[in-house]
Amino acid sequence: MVKSLVWRIVDLVAGGIFICAGALKILDPVGFANDIDNYKILPWFISVRLAFYLPWLEMFCGLALIFRFLYHGGLSILAALTSVFIVATVAAKVRGLDITCGCFGHVSKNWSFPQHLALDLAILGALVALSFRVAAGNRPRNAI
Amino acid sequence: MKSSAVRQGLFLIGLALLPAISQAIYFRDRLSWQSPIAASEMVTVAQAQAWGDSAIWVDARPDEEFAHDHVPGAVSLNEDRWNELLPQVLPKWSPEKKVVVYCSAQSCNAAREVAKRLRDEAQLKDNEGRNCVFVLEGGWEEWLKKNR
Repeated sequence: MVKSLVWRIVDLVAGGIFICAGALKILDPVGFANDIDNYKILPWFISVRLAFYLPWLEMFCGLALIFRFLYHGGLSILAALTSVFIVATVAAKVRGLDITCGCFGHVSKNWSFPQHLALDLAILGALVALSFRVAAGNRPRNAI
Repeated sequence: MKSSAVRQGLFLIGLALLPAISQAIYFRDRLSWQSPIAASEMVTVAQAQAWGDSAIWVDARPDEEFAHDHVPGAVSLNEDRWNELLPQVLPKWSPEKKVVVYCSAQSCNAAREVAKRLRDEAQLKDNEGRNCVFVLEGGWEEWLKKNR
């Protein structure tokens, strides 16, 4: 009972973070396109298209976690997105790029690299833990 | 479990496309789809230098980089000290002057941000209401290559 309550809280917090992050970026797609472009990994015409798409994907996946509808799909996509994001952030740092992560739109503009990384790793940890729980057969109640 | 995750994932991927496309259509005229800065808002070192005294050079790099070296006659205006520095820039400007903003290199973002704020917040436009704020192609690095 207590365990499942804890997992439910992890679901809600992780889902809430992605809904929040997605909503902030939806409000400023041009700013987010600039943030993606700053990583210097993708050409602008792809960055700008992703800037319109990724926030909605994050938002829907966050909702999937909270409402436990399309739960497994949402969890997998969020884990994949977060992993890609961590790799891109570390790669940017290694290449000496001084960038804003764009994870929470311009709210996160002044975060330092260790702050970004710590938050991303914590989120990834939570998502991986949730995935293991599902893989171990402890499927969340009511999850579709 | 795996196949249901893939099916659900694909469904979510497709679902997110609908609002994304709608939003992109709504924004279609408000941004440049092919380049982060519209070609009409960029200027080369040669073009900017040809403007001579009618150009105001604005250095968008951090204070310490500006203090180390900068384009002769440039004024510093960065986002960290925007409110403090903007009043020093505005008296130099008049509608017949062009503003050339630069940061470290082609890959930096500061010049783009400062140029945007000069257009949107400081409302810098020429006498006919056209854009007069330009971002220097290649930034400080390019200026150095061409001048030293």
